[in-house]
Amino acid sequence: MISELLINAFLVTIMLSISIALIKTRTVIFTVILTSAYSLVAALMFITLDAVDVAFTEASVGAGISTILFLAAMAYLPKKEEESINSQFIPALSCIILGGILIWCSYDLPEIGQLTAPIHQHIAPEYIRGSKEDIGIPNIVTSVLASYRGYDTFGETIVVFTAGVAVLMLLENKNPVKKNKSQPKQKFKKNA
Amino acid sequence: MHKNPILRISTKILFAPIILFGLYVQFHGDFGPGGGFQAGVIVASAFILYSIVFGIEEGKKLFPSNINLILLALGGIIYGGVGFVSMILGDEFLSYNILGSSPQSGQHIGILLVEFGVGLTVSNVMIALFNAFASYNTIKEK
Repeated sequence: MISELLINAFLVTIMLSISIALIKTRTVIFTVILTSAYSLVAALMFITLDAVDVAFTEASVGAGISTILFLAAMAYLPKKEEESINSQFIPALSCIILGGILIWCSYDLPEIGQLTAPIHQHIAPEYIRGSKEDIGIPNIVTSVLASYRGYDTFGETIVVFTAGVAVLMLLENKNPVKKNKSQPKQKFKKNA
Repeated sequence: MHKNPILRISTKILFAPIILFGLYVQFHGDFGPGGGFQAGVIVASAFILYSIVFGIEEGKKLFPSNINLILLALGGIIYGGVGFVSMILGDEFLSYNILGSSPQSGQHIGILLVEFGVGLTVSNVMIALFNAFASYNTIKEK
């Protein structure tokens, strides 16, 4: 119990210091790298909560590929973020109020891992039983993701697809216009 | 292209094991942590690493853009196709029980195919996004 507390305190301290550094830094590359480090610590946090699948996704997507995409996109950004002229008082106040409300609400949450919590009573027992008997797969996360919640995952795949196609259309917009302009000219020359 | 031999040789050594690990995560998702989303990202990272070290043109030679775009759409089609096949065979959309000889083997086949579709779409979207960002600069310079 004490070791768990120590690990959690350690990870939360690292996360807090990374977020403070994120607020302070004005260099874009440091922001990208610190965001990646934050994701990696978040992945460790998920492991302490025994959510290995989520930790795996956070480590590969959050810390891995999104960092690469940020770095690739960073080439089109100015190197330094401009200092904000506006007053920081109202954003800080709203953050503190929202954070206070969230902390206040967290006292009503059931303890982590408590069996009588509503989330473990609703439909989870059915999935835990059915994953072994109906689907025959040891990993309950996969059976929920791909079979019980197949529609949701289908939607997620389509969202990834649509987002990818949208970004491709935005970025490759300039290329086909140039080609279309040059092609008729060549044809014209050949005819002449 | 990077001239540093350590980067180039370690990329060539790492390329195959990264893809092997991606495939392991893809097809081992039923038994351990993993699945289509994570595996897709891992496989994409191998191709992106190659593109970073050897240049975007070499990366496009290794994995042509038109194949990339076809596979990007094919993943979603495989996912939806599994749903329609189960509908044609007389069950509900995305209900895998009817795909195999027993409900359990049907579920197994369905989940494997569906995860494969997810992995295909995710990995190709990531590669396409990286290529688009990386080659946007060269278009601008021309």
